[in-house]
Amino acid sequence: MDINVRKRSHVQVVQLRGQLRLGEAVDDLQRTIKDSMTEGDARFVINLSEVPMIDSSGIGVLVRSLTSAKKQGGSVKLVNPSTFAQKTLRLVGVLSLFEVYEDDDQAVASFN
Amino acid sequence: MSAEASSADQPRLVTSALELRIKGEVNAIAAAADSISDKLRQLQVPEEKRMEILLAVQEALANAVVHGCKDDPSKEVRCCLEQYANGRILIVVSDPGPGYSPQQSIDPKHADRLHHDHGRGVYLIRQLMDDVLLAHNGSEIRMWKY
Repeated sequence: MDINVRKRSHVQVVQLRGQLRLGEAVDDLQRTIKDSMTEGDARFVINLSEVPMIDSSGIGVLVRSLTSAKKQGGSVKLVNPSTFAQKTLRLVGVLSLFEVYEDDDQAVASFN
Repeated sequence: MSAEASSADQPRLVTSALELRIKGEVNAIAAAADSISDKLRQLQVPEEKRMEILLAVQEALANAVVHGCKDDPSKEVRCCLEQYANGRILIVVSDPGPGYSPQQSIDPKHADRLHHDHGRGVYLIRQLMDDVLLAHNGSEIRMWKY
């Protein structure tokens, strides 16, 4: 999985490409979030438009990141998850934990 | 909603099969899942059904590697896919571990567990597949998709 991070208006916008599943993909995302939070960033937008599938480990890192970010006064917001990814998140009851937006602009603006 | 089922109820004419032996390490899961995905495409399984099966297999393999093999590459996970004449697909994942109790697969949607970062794998499998059977003390999982 490819991870691209850029900062916009004090928000870390994380673009993912590939499957978010157990292994390097989950480890890399977790490390990316953790490194940013260590530097004081607690506002994240995770763009899931190019993530066809999220497994339970991927769900775990999203939930863990949301919990950690909120503890630091921030949040993790999702952008444009695929139909199947939304279904998966809804099946395990976590979709409602997140704010979901259609694009990065809307998600970034929601932090203001 | 999935339920425990007996394999004796299923027609036995297998029209297509795939058997994989996978090292018991996390890094081996992706390639195995991709092989399953390729097979499902070859069988012309509709996309949504293919994604549901693939995610269930991904979860089963993850459990087998992490809990059954303790991420030990010297151990082996077996994954078999069979398609029957009526189109039903059976996938069996087995590992050399001690197994687990079905009572351990609790509802992750409970308010006390919703914010947990683990414990959703078996629940997802049961939601995605039509029937699920745990055998050999839980070290083997048999999953049907109709």
